[in-house]
Amino acid sequence: MSEQFRKVEQYSPKSSPRGSRSPVVPRQDSTGTLKATISLGKNPSIVHTGPFYLIKEPPTESDLTGATNLMAHYGLEHSYNKSSGRKVRDTLSSFLPNLPGQIDSPGHLDNSSLRSVIDKPPIGGKELLPLSSMQLSGFRLHPGALPEQYRLMNQVPQKKKHKHKKHKHKPGDTPSHQESTTTSDVASSAEKKHKKQKRHDDDKERKKRKKEKKKKKQKHSPEHPSGSSHMDM
Amino acid sequence: MTSQALENLEAQLETFIENIRQIKIIVGDFQPQGQNVLNQKIQTVVSGLQEIDKLKSQVQDVHVPLEVFDYIDSGRNPQLYTKDCMEKAMNKNETVRGKIDAYRRFRAHLMVELTSVFPAEMAKYRAIRGDERPMS
Repeated sequence: MSEQFRKVEQYSPKSSPRGSRSPVVPRQDSTGTLKATISLGKNPSIVHTGPFYLIKEPPTESDLTGATNLMAHYGLEHSYNKSSGRKVRDTLSSFLPNLPGQIDSPGHLDNSSLRSVIDKPPIGGKELLPLSSMQLSGFRLHPGALPEQYRLMNQVPQKKKHKHKKHKHKPGDTPSHQESTTTSDVASSAEKKHKKQKRHDDDKERKKRKKEKKKKKQKHSPEHPSGSSHMDM
Repeated sequence: MTSQALENLEAQLETFIENIRQIKIIVGDFQPQGQNVLNQKIQTVVSGLQEIDKLKSQVQDVHVPLEVFDYIDSGRNPQLYTKDCMEKAMNKNETVRGKIDAYRRFRAHLMVELTSVFPAEMAKYRAIRGDERPMS
């Protein structure tokens, strides 16, 4: 019996350091905690220090919430109507029509993506200086056309708008001549010279072929004295 | 000021790209008499890069979202990014408005039901809150 009382006394409020008051437990947020003090002892009572159990302070109201039309609030209605009204084409070439080359192809295929520039920024900070004559000597090129494997890189896909125009393409012609040129005089004169030379060469070839055909005809004709042997009687 | 700087940069980049295109034509079918022209064009490339480098200080305030780069890398029109952004914002605005509406209705309904079950407590609650908001 006395042992039972001793056990009860071990847990009794008399043995606690704060007496009959409830223990102090450190809490970080007191908004949702028990706003009451429980006192035991001769006159046990519960003293409410707050109105309701777990009552919290309401959140502060703000004027701008998701319930308001934010487009109208920030004056973006006109921009939204404009962007949603007009038809925006999907391709990059429709946004940048003046850029040459194939720009609609994905950048990761030919290692020309902007993302790679961000992930691996190029080494910069060096001063940009014009090239010296020694350095320019490294750019001396051999005359002649590019090999075919590199010509394919320059090809521009033909746009569908030009259906009514008939472009007569020569087999040796490079696609660069198809592009409209608003270039400087030097480049345009180089092009013109190149074209003239090609036409001259083509004409020569045609004349040669015609001569060869004539010779063949003359050999096989009955009027020609140096014709076939069976004509001799 | 920023728009003018952007226009200048755009013009400089277009000139640079045009120069590169001319080099491509010259190199495509090179003739010996074009060597001097090619050298001049290469020097123009260097001067073009210098000009572009000078312009970078004027456009440092311009911020471009990284998602636009993904659109460009996949060959898509960057104006679609703006359009998609605005549509997402509109949809999100409507979603949040719907949530706020639903919570308001739930609160009103809950207050009505609680008042019917615990009238005294709800009266105390309203007095404590100084609640002037209507229940419905």
